Formats: sequence, C-alpha cells, structure tokens
Amino acid sequence: MWSITSTRKSDNLLRMQARVIGALILRETRVTFGKAQMGYLWAVFEPVLGTAALTAIFSIVTRHPPLGTSFALFFATGVLTFQIYQRLSTSLMAVFEANRGLMAYPLVKELDVVFARFLLIVATYLFVFVVFFGGLIMFDLADYPARLDQVLLALLATALIGLGAGLINAVIMLLWPTWKHLHGIISRPLFFISGVFFIPSAFPPNIRYILSWNPLMHCIDWFRSGYYHSYDSPTLDIGYLLMYTLVLLLIAFGSERVYRKYQK
Amino acid sequence: MIEFENVRKTYRLSGVEKVILNDLSFAFPAKTNVAILGHNGAGKSTIMRLIAGAELPDRGRIHRKARVSWPLGFTGGFGGDMTGLENARFVARMYGEDSEAVVAFVEEFSELGPSMRLPIRTYSSGMRARLAFGVSMAIDFDYYLIDEITAVGDTRFKKKCDAVFETKLEKANIIMISHSIPTIRKFCESACLLDKGELSYFENVEDAIDRHEHNQSQ
Repeated sequence: MWSITSTRKSDNLLRMQARVIGALILRETRVTFGKAQMGYLWAVFEPVLGTAALTAIFSIVTRHPPLGTSFALFFATGVLTFQIYQRLSTSLMAVFEANRGLMAYPLVKELDVVFARFLLIVATYLFVFVVFFGGLIMFDLADYPARLDQVLLALLATALIGLGAGLINAVIMLLWPTWKHLHGIISRPLFFISGVFFIPSAFPPNIRYILSWNPLMHCIDWFRSGYYHSYDSPTLDIGYLLMYTLVLLLIAFGSERVYRKYQK
Repeated sequence: MIEFENVRKTYRLSGVEKVILNDLSFAFPAKTNVAILGHNGAGKSTIMRLIAGAELPDRGRIHRKARVSWPLGFTGGFGGDMTGLENARFVARMYGEDSEAVVAFVEEFSELGPSMRLPIRTYSSGMRARLAFGVSMAIDFDYYLIDEITAVGDTRFKKKCDAVFETKLEKANIIMISHSIPTIRKFCESACLLDKGELSYFENVEDAIDRHEHNQSQ
C-alpha cells in the first residue's frame, strides 16, 4: 500500500548532477521570483523597463550617441552587458549563505548551488536581451546585430567574469561578512569607467591605457564591435580579456575548494 | 557502501580545539543496521552529518557509493516560502523520481490536507516533521540516516510510520542515533561506539550497549 514504483533509470554521475542542478534551478526560480504574481515576468521586465527609463533620460540630455544614430541602442549595449556582470557578482555573493540548508541533502554538492544560480541569471538575461533588442528592432531604433557570434561570445565572457567575481565574493563573504557592504561601495565606480556611456577611443591614449585594464570595458567594447556594422575598436583586446577571465576563474574555483569547509 | 578513509574532524570554538574523529578509517558493513553510541557531545550527530555530506572532514575522504538519505527528521532543507507540494516536488526531481507520484504519496501519507498548498513557514513543527517523514519515505534509499527520531503525530500516525518504515527496511539499512536503548535494540544488530575521538565497532549490538553503559557509569 505504501510504496511507489521507482522510475529511476540507471544513474551515471554526470546525469545525476545535471538533474540536481535542474531541480535547483527550478527551486531557485520559485524562491527568487515566486513571491509576486507573475514573478518571473518581473525578473525580465524590471531590467528592460529600468534600461528603457535610463535610455529615455540620457537621450534627452545627450544629442548624439558616440556610435551610430540610435542612443537607445548605444546605451542598451552598454548597460545590459554591464548588468549581467553586476547581477552575477552580487547575487552569487550570498549563494552559500542562502543555501546552507540544502547541504543536508547528500546529493547536493557545494558547487551545484553556484551553477544553478549562475545558469538562472544568465538565462534570464538572455531573455532580457531578446526582449529589449527585439523591441528596439521592432520600433526601428536598431538594426539586427552585425555578427551575432561575436555578440554571444562577448556575453559569454561577461558572464564568466561575473561567475568568477561572484564566486570570489562568496568566498570572501564566508571569511569576512563585512565584505557585503564594502563590495557595494568599491564596485560602484565600475559603472562609470566601463564604457557604458562612452567608447574608449574618445579618450586620449594615456587615459585609454588606464581604462583598458578594466576587463568589463573590453566586454562592452566586444559586444558593440559585434553589434555595430561599422565599429572596429582599436582598444579591444580579446586576448587580454580571455586571459583575465581564465585567471579569475582559476582563483575563484581554487579558493572555493580551499575554503569549502567554511560553507557549512 | 559508506567508507571513511583517514578522516579527521575537529571543532574549534573560542580557541579550544575539540577532536571529534581522530584519523578514522572505517567501512560501514553492508546489510546491517548500525547504531552509533556515545555520550553527549561525543560527535554522533557530526558523524551523521559527515555521512550526509552536510559537513566536511578536516582531512581524509568519505566515500559514499549508495543512495543515502538526509538525516531523517531534518527539515532545514525545506524552503520556508515554498509550499509543502513544492518542497516535495523539489526532492523528487533531485532524485529523479516521478514528481507527481511522490506528491501523491506524500499527500496521502502526511495527512496534511489543504496545508500542502501553504508555505512551510506557516507549519507547526509537527506538520513539518510529518511532511519530512513522508518525503523521505517516498524515495527509495539504500541507507536511512536517523538522528534521534522523534515520535511524529498521535499513536495511530506513529503506527503508520512504523509500518511504512518496516517495508523500507526490507531493502534498505539504517544508521541510527538514539538515546533510547530499546529503540536501538529494536532496529540495530550492530553498533559503533564513539569515545574521545576513537570509534570502535561491535558486531553485536549488546556488547556495544554494555560497554556504553559501563562508560556512562564511570
């Protein structure tokens, strides 16, 4: 009477981990967006509307965008790319704290909660990109991206930097909880020096050199080089960006492994 | 198979280091129900949490090549803002079981009725325990971890729990912590005794109980 038939197929480790991450993503969706009605729609529309409002304000203040003719397109390529990084680097910071209870399940591994949150945020932002740029194209405020592959690669690099920074933030948080407040203050200027409002070529070489240390500037520059037909940035250094991403991820996953026992 | 390989576990609180396990190598024998005995604070629950992976050893490795339950009675893995249904579905998905079959079983077994559709944070501790027990019985494990099983619900409900648990034990084994010697005698054939960072295994649970009572009276 009290039994159910198992539908479980032969388990291999990879499939099991994929299943756990899948279950965690659904759970995370529910926990993050479930409180409001149509919660997930808000997750998409909030950045869409926020960006639209900022774009409207800036297009009134500024007459010509530094690139192309559509201010909305210029601003959106910058701010949405930047937001992927920002969302990941701050949301992942609390990932261990928020999911500590889940560690009681033998199936859930430490990194599963990180990957689940990462994938959910990236998927949400892909959705946001499609809606926003789709809208711009529909209202004739933008063309289709010139090189979609470059656009997607730029987004991937941005997401991976967000993952690396977010995981490092999470590890620092375990050791030093004050970091949560400090990080917000320290990272605020990033928005202004990453090329959301400008293209680096507009600056003299010495300033351009200083700006070029910031990997996010390269992310946005890469995205724009892919999107615009006629933009070929002299500052963009994809090799530097990829090296930075690789080193950041190594540090992130290395420190997570070293300090893993503090997660519980 | 659950095996500890050179496992060391210590806690450090306000500069005082307490050794829970000192270089333990031990394989839990297959097809036997094992009790873990030890005085208060010896680290019985820590062993349980190490087996579940909820806690990591300072050194050494723990091999777990079996479907091991979470410590039964533990409700911390439930999301407070999620409903009973959603929590049951999450566990089912994670274990690759048919969500709707698990939900149907839990709904019927836990007798929570319409409360299944309410967030867990509105539950009483008894309701939570019933849900947790129902969910853990809906999934087939090779090992059940039982840390101080507390009686859930009234006598009738308790009987139902015992009945379903017994059908589970035909195929699965348990690793159990309990302060109640009769409970241990009822479920376990063998036992591990944890004392001052050392773990000794007794094939016969009675020998372990004797030694444990001897230790306690000292």
